[in-house]
Amino acid sequence: MERAAPLHALRRRLRFVTLLGALLALLGGYAVIERAEPAEARIVRVAEFLADCPYSHRLPDDPIIYPGLPGASHMHSFFGATTTNAYTNLADLLNSNTTCNPRVDVSSYWVPTLYADNVPVEPAIVTFYYLGEGVRSDIVANTQPLPLGLRIVAGNARATGPDSTTISRWSCLHAGHVGASKDFVNCPSGTMLESYLDFPQCWNGRDLDSPDHKSHMAYPVNQACPPTHPVAVPKLRQVLRYPVSGDPARFRLASGGGFTMHGDFFNAWPEAEMLRRVQDCIRPVIKCGADGRSS
Amino acid sequence: MRPSAVTPAAATLLVVVLLAVGCAGPAATPAPVSGTPTGAAPVTTGAPPTPAGTPSPSGPFNGTDIAWLQLTVAMHERVLPLLDLVPERTAEPAVRRLAVRVRETHRADLDRSRRLLDRSGAPQTNPHEGHDMPGMVTATELTTLGTAPDAEFRRLFGEHLRAHLEQSVRVATAEQRSGADPDTTALAGAVARTGTGYLSQLAQLPG
Repeated sequence: MERAAPLHALRRRLRFVTLLGALLALLGGYAVIERAEPAEARIVRVAEFLADCPYSHRLPDDPIIYPGLPGASHMHSFFGATTTNAYTNLADLLNSNTTCNPRVDVSSYWVPTLYADNVPVEPAIVTFYYLGEGVRSDIVANTQPLPLGLRIVAGNARATGPDSTTISRWSCLHAGHVGASKDFVNCPSGTMLESYLDFPQCWNGRDLDSPDHKSHMAYPVNQACPPTHPVAVPKLRQVLRYPVSGDPARFRLASGGGFTMHGDFFNAWPEAEMLRRVQDCIRPVIKCGADGRSS
Repeated sequence: MRPSAVTPAAATLLVVVLLAVGCAGPAATPAPVSGTPTGAAPVTTGAPPTPAGTPSPSGPFNGTDIAWLQLTVAMHERVLPLLDLVPERTAEPAVRRLAVRVRETHRADLDRSRRLLDRSGAPQTNPHEGHDMPGMVTATELTTLGTAPDAEFRRLFGEHLRAHLEQSVRVATAEQRSGADPDTTALAGAVARTGTGYLSQLAQLPG
């Protein structure tokens, strides 16, 4: 190597200059990369991966809000990890079975149970999307993995009416004309009642939970994470499709009216699986399936 | 030699640049490889995440202690208006006597719960305030009770007080098992004991 011909050495220098140049281009503008990339028809430019996690079980338990107090909560419907109860901790989740596709997602997700005419109804389709949206594209490109063991609560279980703080939305699958509402909607016969809920995506970078279970996370402000919560993580969007339609007067949640919809998330994605999806789907803005590959 | 001198220098520069974009997050994020667009200044945090488990309040209190104290305050506050209705809605002396005793115990438990919460350093705002939880009498039910005639009032009062006491005993028993702070678990023991006693007195009330 030391005896490399001058031409060889020059090539090597050129290679480094080229590499540096490419790196600076990366730094300079993500748009450049996008244009330079060969147009592959099958790649959809949406920053997303997902987990489909059907209903697992019901319990009046909540390991985030009422840890160690079985029966203290209103009724919850659990998705994902099959063993979640009032005592569940991260180690329990990591050893749990799961209803999720992909099977590597042993996270626990739960919501207040929906009742129609006082009979519990479980969603037929349960999808948890992890999205790179709601913040500027340069922040999406810098998304950090959700830390293992992170707990997030979204929505307001104590809401006394739909108001400006209501984050959850109700709508109808295959009946878009009904529109989205903060309370239950009347879905045409043959369609399904659906619930959307976006979780906060800005983390304080320090705590996996907080005494009020909220203040370690924040929603973005003006498409950016606030200085108090500087770490952008994937936005979790919970989408539930319930096999019910018609008069909303028949419906209630275990926590009250439709506007009390809330979701709890206890992250137990293996770190490598989470990181791979953030690197391969969220940062480069590629729509991935449950396997975390371009779909 | 010139090439070997340039190479390490360039490599060092590369490493520096990569580190700068590398978003050294707490979850051991490797530096991005080419193909991973990284446009923005890194969002970094120095401190590692807190270990898993319940949020760490100060002193000997664990997450169960805090949750139980907050829940007890919310439940006890909610049952007081129900007890307050008794003198004006029923003439039945046994019901009135029981309501007075339950009220006194609950007031004392409330004081102890609030003092323990202060000591724990938990947030002052009660996350369960205004929230209908199992065992709680709702605002609508309270309105109905406020106009119910004596016999109907006594029947509804019995149902609501039983639901409240059963739930109180259930969560107090769990707190005794899973709580950490000795004063809090002792209070839970008292709540479970007195609640169980009141439940049997309630069952013996004249219909």
